[in-house]
Amino acid sequence: MSRPDRTGTICSPPAVASGEPTPDEPMRPDRAAIAPVPPAARLRGLRKVYRRTVALDSVDLDVPTGAVLGLLGRNGSGKTTMLRLLLGLSRPTDGTVELLGEPMPAGACRALTHVGALVEGPGFLPFLSGRDNLARFAAAEPLVRTSAIGETVNYALHRVGLDREAAIDRPYRGHSLGLKQRLGLAAALLTPRRLVILDEPTNGLDPAGIRDVRRLIGELHAAGSTVLLSSHLLSEVEETCTHVAMLSAGTVVATGTLTELLEADGPALEISTTEPNAALAALRHCRIPGYVERGLVIADLVETPPELVLSTLASAGVPVSEARRRRTGLEELFLRLTEEGT
Amino acid sequence: MSEPVQRASRRTLAVTPAGDRHAAPLARLLRVELRTEPRRPRTLVALVVLALVPVVIGLGVSVSSADRPGPGLGLITAVSGNGMMLPITALGVALRLLLPLCVCIAAADALAGEAAHGTLRGLLLAPVSRIRLVWIKAFGVLAVAVLQVAVVTGAGLLAGLILVGGGDQLLTLSGSSVGLGAALARVALAAGWTVLQVAAVGAVALAISAFTDHPLVVLATVLGGAIVFGLLGAIPAMDWLRPVLLTSGWASLSDVLRDPVPGDGLTHSALLAGVYLVIGMTGAIVGTLRREA
Repeated sequence: MSRPDRTGTICSPPAVASGEPTPDEPMRPDRAAIAPVPPAARLRGLRKVYRRTVALDSVDLDVPTGAVLGLLGRNGSGKTTMLRLLLGLSRPTDGTVELLGEPMPAGACRALTHVGALVEGPGFLPFLSGRDNLARFAAAEPLVRTSAIGETVNYALHRVGLDREAAIDRPYRGHSLGLKQRLGLAAALLTPRRLVILDEPTNGLDPAGIRDVRRLIGELHAAGSTVLLSSHLLSEVEETCTHVAMLSAGTVVATGTLTELLEADGPALEISTTEPNAALAALRHCRIPGYVERGLVIADLVETPPELVLSTLASAGVPVSEARRRRTGLEELFLRLTEEGT
Repeated sequence: MSEPVQRASRRTLAVTPAGDRHAAPLARLLRVELRTEPRRPRTLVALVVLALVPVVIGLGVSVSSADRPGPGLGLITAVSGNGMMLPITALGVALRLLLPLCVCIAAADALAGEAAHGTLRGLLLAPVSRIRLVWIKAFGVLAVAVLQVAVVTGAGLLAGLILVGGGDQLLTLSGSSVGLGAALARVALAAGWTVLQVAAVGAVALAISAFTDHPLVVLATVLGGAIVFGLLGAIPAMDWLRPVLLTSGWASLSDVLRDPVPGDGLTHSALLAGVYLVIGMTGAIVGTLRREA
């Protein structure tokens, strides 16, 4: 994992490595653009009640195939419950779940063959070594041939940077938190997956581990896998995800692509200039809406491309020192949406 | 340097083309279960303790018979000078508490323990179907039960031979003696019958294991139940209940030591164990299907 020169070759999608596309080759983003593909997961009217606690209520969500969807929410907002329902570990009180086109939990075996998941932390037997634990799960994977269990385990360990880790052959109970988490990730990546579900994957990891997880997610995305990631770390989602769903008190309060959500207040350009009044006048002259806020000129981009704004200012001779798209920032949006929700 | 790359490309061939298989081969899952179960530290401790049962009885008998021959306490004194009786006596003693306890530990670990470790989730996500998982786990518990009974029997035969002696024939409780072959057949009968009884306890324990995430709940429930059953069996007013109490049938193990072997008690208790097995497995399947993993 710490040797980028090698990982590039090794972590290329297996179908490419073998030189022959298998029927199971994951749908690539470019192909997805040609033929519309059904979502990797679809939740409709989902409701889950534990005794008297409503954990989820009327949740509708599509996880687009090929996307990296970040599920954001505070602790106890229902993220894990949603993932457990999605994986058929738990039955919904009401509503429907579809995973890779299969109804859940009825079609669990067909769907889960192509799904890797790390939910509610890594789970392994304490008296077996990390490697033996992984081999036990590899033996339960339908797509792994019996003669290839050892190789499968080695490859998964390699992907999470544990192939040179001596502790992996000692009993799991003595493993460090980070090692346990990496092992959990390895279990989710035992076979090429069409969908990978990671519940707070960077828990217990050091900065290098967090970087590795981001790289892994990037690799999965590049290979065409869909990734569903839950987190309460906004920076993590902002850096790795293409799509975001925000969960608050058991309901989805916002969904969309990362860009859409970041521009939730409407697209606008923030312009730093020493002559804001001249800038505003130039914009008005071309009927581009704008105003001054905290010393910055804000140009509305709803009907105007940013190029036009900049060329307008340039031709009017307004000195522009910096211009960037305004981002509300996930944090601000998140706080606003979740505080409204509670 | 190129070795991992090779490994990676070989691995792609290791994965069968998708779409044609949604479950790992059953034999492979059973093999893994067989390899995993005996590696649990408590399974090993249980086996050692069980092996000590016939050894302690053998030692006790050989010491007491030296200075105090004559009538004594039932089965155990009958072992004196009668080594072939030791394995059967040891099975009877172990069946009173130790064997149910040990099989209960295995059954508690099988579902509740796996759930507590978070590994049940991993198996379900692999995916292993829930019903299949119950059968695999039942197989594992049965394997442990067989191993435990085999250890008691094996240690009993050895201890009988070495500590007690007189291993060339079996002196029955009826006073007759049977040859070595027939004696071994009786030991095998006793062992087989005991496996069935222990398996019945294991199935009930597995059912409770399917409904909880706490292994201790399984132990408390099954052992508590066994004690209550023992009490009910001992209350004269509750005589009518005895035919359905699993524990009440356990006394019929000593029938193996009579000549000829009276079959009624053994058959009834074996059938009863079968009923408990069916009930237990049904419960285990229902619990696992309903379970929130």
